[in-house]
Amino acid sequence: MNPYGPVAIYLCVALAAALLFTFLPGLLGRGKPNPQKQEAYECGVEPTSAVAGRFPVRFYLIAMLFVVFDVEAASLYPWAVQMHALRAFGLIEMVVFVIVIAIGYAYVWKKGGLEWR
Amino acid sequence: MTNVIANPYTSADWNVLYPLGIVALGALAVLFVDLVSKKHAPKWLTLALAGLSVIGAGVVCAQQYGQNYDAFGGGFLLGGFAVVMQELVLVAALGTLALYATLGDEERMAGTIALLLWSTCGAMLMAGAANLMTIFLGLELLSLALYCLCGLRENAIAREAALKYLILSSTASGFLLYGMALLFGSTGSVALAAIAQAPVAGNPMLWIGCALFLVGLAFKLSLVPFHAWSPDVYEGAPLPVTAFMSVATKVGALAVLARFVDAAVPSAGAEKLLLPLWIIAGISMVAGNLGMLAQHDLKRLLAFSGIAQVGYIVAALAGGGALGLRYALFYLIAYTFMNLGAFAVATAISTQAEEGSRLANYHGLAQRRPFLAAAMTFFMLALAGMPPTAGFVGKILILSANVGAGYAWLAGLLILGTAISLYAYAKIIRAMYVRDEHAHAREAHPVSPLAWASAAVCAAVLLVLTFYPLAPSNVIPLVR
Amino acid sequence: MSALPVSLASYIGLSAVMFFVGVAGVVLRRNPLVMLMSIELMFNAANIVFVAFARAWMHNAGHIFAFLVITVAAAEAAIGLAIVVAVFRSAKNVDVDEVALLKG
Repeated sequence: MNPYGPVAIYLCVALAAALLFTFLPGLLGRGKPNPQKQEAYECGVEPTSAVAGRFPVRFYLIAMLFVVFDVEAASLYPWAVQMHALRAFGLIEMVVFVIVIAIGYAYVWKKGGLEWR
Repeated sequence: MTNVIANPYTSADWNVLYPLGIVALGALAVLFVDLVSKKHAPKWLTLALAGLSVIGAGVVCAQQYGQNYDAFGGGFLLGGFAVVMQELVLVAALGTLALYATLGDEERMAGTIALLLWSTCGAMLMAGAANLMTIFLGLELLSLALYCLCGLRENAIAREAALKYLILSSTASGFLLYGMALLFGSTGSVALAAIAQAPVAGNPMLWIGCALFLVGLAFKLSLVPFHAWSPDVYEGAPLPVTAFMSVATKVGALAVLARFVDAAVPSAGAEKLLLPLWIIAGISMVAGNLGMLAQHDLKRLLAFSGIAQVGYIVAALAGGGALGLRYALFYLIAYTFMNLGAFAVATAISTQAEEGSRLANYHGLAQRRPFLAAAMTFFMLALAGMPPTAGFVGKILILSANVGAGYAWLAGLLILGTAISLYAYAKIIRAMYVRDEHAHAREAHPVSPLAWASAAVCAAVLLVLTFYPLAPSNVIPLVR
Repeated sequence: MSALPVSLASYIGLSAVMFFVGVAGVVLRRNPLVMLMSIELMFNAANIVFVAFARAWMHNAGHIFAFLVITVAAAEAAIGLAIVVAVFRSAKNVDVDEVALLKG
């Protein structure tokens, strides 16, 4: 048997079960909607705004800076693996790379990009 | 693990990148000065540093003229073509710096100028790029910096324009990149030249790859089915950025397109592969000029004009002959100066609060500032392709290239497009020279020396270029 | 259970599906953040092709290219977020869905 066979069977069963439980209530139940039932909550205060919360903008700022410096770190790995083979040339390249990133980092710092406000 | 990977590049490879390196270092220097100054770097110092690095790069680049060298294993082809294209990008950067000297605000000058210089680097890299990696790197360096530059104005329209530009242009990059991936898959090499050697028959991946690659490029050039972004983005972006964008992105993308056409032409299916490109160039000439008729904003008008002008230049490449390429390059040089000149005039009549891009601002300009009105008239005539200008010479050259290569229908569309465009350009000229009854109510704009100077220089260069056909025809030896 | 060799065609199939999901996301959705994520999908679809063919052709230009694309995509995401934040601030509107993205 193909080694992925069980996975395929599992996926099929999971899909069938999900579809079954999604549509079964609609087939079996008797729908008698009325305004009270249609509300999002059947008790308590009526919802007035969107349920999903809003993220303050500063989260986006942090995310933005994180992405850049995260990938910078990722770029160091291939060099680290081949560091001995690349010799001085590789080292110089990386020093230049890190200096460029460092100027950017200092610039972000000075302009207040790292402050939690 | 003691095997040593030797550095495969010699100093000859690095020499090729000197102009690029000077501009990139200039950008870093600008940021560094801003970093060490107390609050922010003075405007004049930022602009002086940037101007020096651009001029320095231009001088170094000019010294490379006449050398031919395949740097980095064919990643960057140094030659007459690359040098001329790089110089055009540098001219655009210098012109934009002059506009920033007039319009920019001091507080965020350093960041803005650094982005502008990096964008310049991207376009310069594209000018010589001959493999998929350098093309992609140059394109993204150019575009990413431009997205930021577009949004650098405290105004909702500018930011929405930046968002729109970011999303649409990145999508186009996605198409281009997927096309590159398929090209790499079907040829087994990242060199553009490998396209010509790949078997064409029964190789759908090559076809799809080329098609996606061309769609991405057509978007960056804003050729007609993919042009919808450019008027909105041009209108929203700050005036100097629009000026830079209208020249540098087009120079960069055209350099890549020319190399692609050059690489694809020897292949067996080139006729079929490139025909859609000539067709959209033809449509762009007519549709771009038609779009100009309804505009009331100089930036939008020049966006549509740019669509048509790029149509002319791409059409000149039809047939893939060396002559067509040379004429395309000539027209591109002329286009650079016409556009920069027009934007310099628009800057000269701008104030800090309001950019002088509404056409209403040009009413009666001839009474208030006769020099600016005359210069603008000259640039409009050049864009329209009327006789005493380089635009006219360029169009005649393109017509002859088209007819010579057997694409007479493209020549016909060019004439049709030109006829349509005359009305739109004439509208501006008429507005400037009409007697303005509210003249006393309007103040003459203060003289802004750098904007005036760049308008004058652009006009002078266009006049000189007009006599190009009289000069020895090997002025631009396009070996590659 | 030995490692199952995955054919080149399946890699291309996967990447084509990813690419079209990305294109559909950009065309159909109106939320700038979702659109940015869709663009990342398009980039990564290209990455799969690069890496698959790098192995098929025994040519590591594909690997290097994929690395380049990852870096560019990160820069793109950072700039995208910056511009989205700028749009929020000038529109005084924190809800992403209500930014009136023009015709698309």
